Amino acid sequence: MTRKNLIILTFFALLAVLPLITNDSYIRHVSIVALLYAIVVSGWNISLGFGGVFNFAHLAFFAIAAYATGILTKTYGFPSWMGVPIGVTASVIASLIVCLPVLRLKGIYVILVTFGFGQLCLQVVLNQRSLTGGNFGFVQIPPLRVFGYSFRSDQALGYYYLALVVLILTILLVSWFRRSPFGWRVAALRENEDYAIARGIALARVRLATFAFSAIFPGAAGAIYAQYVRAASPDMFGFSFLTIALSMLLLGGVATVWGPVVGALVFAILTEIMTPLGPGRYLVTAVLIVSILRFFPKGLAGIPDGLATWHAKWRGQRLSKRPHTID
Amino acid sequence: MEWIDQIGSAARAIFASGLVLSSLYVLIAAGLAIVWNTLGIFNFAHGAIMVIGAYVAWTVSDPAALGWGLLPGIVIAVATSAILGLVINRLLIVPFLTQPNLVLITVMTTLSGAFFLENSALLIWGPRIKQLEKVVSGNVSVGGTAISGHEATIIVLAPLLMLGLWAFLRFTWVGSAVRAVAQNREFAELSGIRTRAMYAVAFAIAAGLAGFAGVMLGAIRFITPGLGGEPLIKAMIVVILGGLGSIPGTIIGSYLVGFGEAASTYFLGAYWTQAALFLVFIIILVIRPNGIMGRK
Repeated sequence: MTRKNLIILTFFALLAVLPLITNDSYIRHVSIVALLYAIVVSGWNISLGFGGVFNFAHLAFFAIAAYATGILTKTYGFPSWMGVPIGVTASVIASLIVCLPVLRLKGIYVILVTFGFGQLCLQVVLNQRSLTGGNFGFVQIPPLRVFGYSFRSDQALGYYYLALVVLILTILLVSWFRRSPFGWRVAALRENEDYAIARGIALARVRLATFAFSAIFPGAAGAIYAQYVRAASPDMFGFSFLTIALSMLLLGGVATVWGPVVGALVFAILTEIMTPLGPGRYLVTAVLIVSILRFFPKGLAGIPDGLATWHAKWRGQRLSKRPHTID
Repeated sequence: MEWIDQIGSAARAIFASGLVLSSLYVLIAAGLAIVWNTLGIFNFAHGAIMVIGAYVAWTVSDPAALGWGLLPGIVIAVATSAILGLVINRLLIVPFLTQPNLVLITVMTTLSGAFFLENSALLIWGPRIKQLEKVVSGNVSVGGTAISGHEATIIVLAPLLMLGLWAFLRFTWVGSAVRAVAQNREFAELSGIRTRAMYAVAFAIAAGLAGFAGVMLGAIRFITPGLGGEPLIKAMIVVILGGLGSIPGTIIGSYLVGFGEAASTYFLGAYWTQAALFLVFIIILVIRPNGIMGRK
């Protein structure tokens, strides 16, 4: 067994036994939310990191899944175990709808359309008050219950393990994706779109597949989240949620399998440490994002390399005391 | 003949409210267009600058705070916004100028900037909503519909400011230099124009306009840290519709969106208007990604 596999195994063993170590409801809540974030951000990494498509509707998929799960299980009486399938279906459908206009667009326009799509969904949610609860959110979603076992019992133990299992599946799928011919096509389109198309990669088909694949994860996480907190709120479409997920992705490092997972967990812990700062923690978050982009564009994963280059550069500058740039 | 009267009154109401909205959008969208034109980036912190402008004007002018009167409030607010624009340019844009995927990186940095500014506003001014005094009190009749004197001021000032902007870009050396940078960066640099200084000028003008728009908006709506969000999204629709970076296109786009929104609010109601606007926005982008007057 390689050292890397050992680290991974220890990591998941620790997560698996965490509930045995502590049964504190606060720690349980924070860890469930962190695991769900890790799932969502890993999914975003597929379209944004590996695919290089700036899909700003990714968090809207999460919100759509939460609303779909809530509405279908509460209002239309679907059984609660259908939650995750419903969430994934809704999210994938939404991703295909948003992908259609994006097929023809590039760069900033992709961001604007995907962002506009999220706002459109938000407006529809606010308008359809009788269906979605409007401003107040959709509340009292039935919790997940399988064979009479409520996932809420034992301080939401069921939700913790469900989220952990989905996260492991997510990581397996992302590692498969990275090595699969599908993943290579996606990366080829990111690296050089014209050349990739010239070599016979079907842009439209691959991009639709990328969107649909990446939407599975926020779909599952949104459904679990809705059943866990038993509510879906219009805030889920908002700017701050997007910014937090983005900083997790950047913190961990884009286009790596483990970056988003580590980023989400580290960021969730950081946020908890910063809770006493109140709204001040958002200021720290913002500064963090810009600093990462500025000094460590590869995120946590790139810090060792980054420090080495920086050190070498600094030494080089000291050795040759002359201006080194033409700019 | 009653229906003719009805159509007439509907048209008048739509005209008056459409004019107010359009003028506000012109003020906001022009700044976005200038920055896109010169730097080739989309500034997501534009709405947050409006918020800071509105709060600063409130702090300077409101009797509960400094109470120096409205005019100093507006002047200081616009100046603060312009300086804020320079700071944003220096911290969030300049360090990334050499990166190949500048557009996408600056989306993230300006988004963080907006996050930072809005939460700073929340920390400094608190969650209690505030409102600015109106510039002109009393009402004015526009085509038979009464609107406040303040709104009438916006309707008059917006085109005047655009005219001023056009004159600045057209007739001054700095204005020509900014346009030169927008048209051909390398050649402008070869001609001895300091491009980075022109970026700063463009950013300061855009931020100043945003601050002014914030002050105007702060007297119509309540000032909250989220004040800039919705107008920014509308301005986004405007610049897309007009063609990113085209100032005439932006002005046409503002009036189209403003009147369209007013008409849609009249017939569909305020709730559906937003959804309708976004739908139209997405459809336009799909059919004509470069907008009405867009180039490239």
